[in-house]
Amino acid sequence: MSRGSTSPLKASFMRRFIARNAPAYAFLTPWLLGFFLLALGPILASLYLSFTRYDMVNAPKWVGLANYEYMFTRDRRFWKALNVTFTYVALAVPARLIMALGVAMLLDKGLRTIGLYRAIFYLPSLLGASIAIAILWRQLFAADGVVNAVLGYFGIQGAAWITNPDTSLYTLVVLAMWQFGSPMLIFLAGLRGIPKDLYEAAEIDGTPKWRQFTRITLPLLAPVIFFNLVLQTIEAFKTFSSAFIISNGTGAPADSLLFYTVYLFNEAFKFFRMGYASALAWVLLIIIAIFTAISFLTSKYWVHYENERD
Amino acid sequence: MELTRRRLLGAVGAGVAASALSAVPAKAATRIRHYWWGNPERDKRTFAVIETFQKANAGIEVSGETIGWGDYWTKMATQTAGRNMADLVQMDYRYLFEYVRRGALKPLDEYVGKSLMIKDFDQGPIAGGMVDGKLYALNIGSNSQVIVHNTRVFKEAGVDVDLINWTWDDFARACEQITAKSDGKVKGSDDLSLMIETFESWVRQNGREFYGADGKVAATVDDVASYWQMWANLRKKDVVRSKDKTVILDPPIAESGVAVGDTAMSHYWSNQLVGIQAVAKDKIGAAMVPHKKGGKPGQFIKPSMFMSLSRDTKDPESAIKYMNAWVTDPAITKILGLERGIPASKAVRDALAPGLNETEKLSVAYFDAIQSKVGALPLPAPKGAGEVRDAFMRIGTSVVLDRAKVKDAAEQFIADASDIVERAQ
Repeated sequence: MSRGSTSPLKASFMRRFIARNAPAYAFLTPWLLGFFLLALGPILASLYLSFTRYDMVNAPKWVGLANYEYMFTRDRRFWKALNVTFTYVALAVPARLIMALGVAMLLDKGLRTIGLYRAIFYLPSLLGASIAIAILWRQLFAADGVVNAVLGYFGIQGAAWITNPDTSLYTLVVLAMWQFGSPMLIFLAGLRGIPKDLYEAAEIDGTPKWRQFTRITLPLLAPVIFFNLVLQTIEAFKTFSSAFIISNGTGAPADSLLFYTVYLFNEAFKFFRMGYASALAWVLLIIIAIFTAISFLTSKYWVHYENERD
Repeated sequence: MELTRRRLLGAVGAGVAASALSAVPAKAATRIRHYWWGNPERDKRTFAVIETFQKANAGIEVSGETIGWGDYWTKMATQTAGRNMADLVQMDYRYLFEYVRRGALKPLDEYVGKSLMIKDFDQGPIAGGMVDGKLYALNIGSNSQVIVHNTRVFKEAGVDVDLINWTWDDFARACEQITAKSDGKVKGSDDLSLMIETFESWVRQNGREFYGADGKVAATVDDVASYWQMWANLRKKDVVRSKDKTVILDPPIAESGVAVGDTAMSHYWSNQLVGIQAVAKDKIGAAMVPHKKGGKPGQFIKPSMFMSLSRDTKDPESAIKYMNAWVTDPAITKILGLERGIPASKAVRDALAPGLNETEKLSVAYFDAIQSKVGALPLPAPKGAGEVRDAFMRIGTSVVLDRAKVKDAAEQFIADASDIVERAQ
């Protein structure tokens, strides 16, 4: 673009800018309208509402920081929800990434039917967010469900996985692990991008497979791992539908599935505390932002890009 | 300031109600909307009612909107916020105060005796729809708590007690007898530790209401502890349903112990008898919630469903005409039957009597039998009651799973419940 336009030139620059970009903005209008009315508007409104008491019928009443104060000083369930969510993120994200990378490496062997396998392994991720899978999961892990029936063949007395607060969260971690499809596809693309001659050279030097993995695959894949990590962490913080369905919408048993988003939904749409729920939403936004920032800040120590000069 | 705030509110409302609004046609002269929570049977009957009404009232078009109980109140809250409530909404006793206080309903008093003919209604059901001295909700059926039981299992185990006047001791004995006779295949009862509806009767038997006249929690730590302890004792004897089934919240009727066949008793509302019989293999019977020896009556007769006029109605005259037809038109009351509960009008009840099936006869007989054994209708629950119910199930789960001591959990619950109610005001 033309830089350093001086003031006499400014008018003609503006004219040119408009003439050049008007069609683009015309085409963007539907999206822009949607963004301002359906995304940005409500987002700002929720920031305002987080400082109010609002029951969806009567006008919001300004209460200052009261919502935030209650949240941090008196609300035990808020802390419980954070605890559940953090535990889940800490377990589910690595589990899913390891699974995804493992399967991606298996598929990277140059199979002829790779397209088919890719589709098959991706399938759970397509289905994963659906209500049906959550219901299926509940049946699988029920006390008299399929999982326990299979364990029974081996003489193992299974637990009531879903209804036992000690194990319920892990069933969701397993569900998350099973839905490794999208990070797997990205890993697969990343693996394809690693030059084959590096491995050949390593072979010739007699480097064991494990060292090839840690010295070649992992470092060269670091940008992709980083990308997947950030994306999956955000995704995990936002987990909702599976937890909502499996816990009957309440976080049961004994709040062991009280995901942050489930708690937020209940506060908003069950107990009509829109103001408080908005405050919860903003705190979640800040938490996710902090985690993303940490990922980015630490990334320079372990992520190297090929076109980067040291 | 006020203006910007309202504008902001409008933006939120628009977003929330966008989908609902798009469904509203530009202008229909006399079109009213009726919104209810239902099940397949209820929906079938209600749509038949709408058809009948439209035939008799050519100028009025009624559009029915139905959804399950689970999502009903969420959708209603959204529509209320979007100023897009249906003209007529089905209302529940638990939510009535809340919606009146939030200004979402219109009083019906000005129509009574003119276009809303409810002269022959029983007084109890009418009073149940009053808030602050005004009638906000028309009773379209009454019900009461009931212990549903499997008559075959009862007979085989030789349980022979008066199921209207029995006590909690009789109940425990029956549980033991049934479990023993069936070699543990059929347990005596569902474990009702998480059932706040049963607990409410328990508190009343101790001479208190769950919520006092001031709207605060009046139940005591002892009430809760003694209730949970009783069930803990039954669990120890292994005569109630397994823990992992007990902690599943609000399971569908088809998964209850009586329907599946692994227990012989469970707690329900009397208008559900028809629904349970439909999914149970054996013939069911109706017993009262057991009494406390020397205690007060715990159970009560409550309006099971109401119809209310919403604040957003454009054509109250037509809406009231429809409402009136529900409780007076013989063709319509015949279609409705007892599905929503026992009708409040004696004339309607008498007209229905000859055509009842066996289960319906059971519910009418049960209703007659308990009339003199029940206590007064408690005041409508204060705001926050739904959340208190959740807390009861949550903390009760810890007790059932032996993760908390009964006494500690009871203290915790009363503290939490008081907190919830206070915060909701």
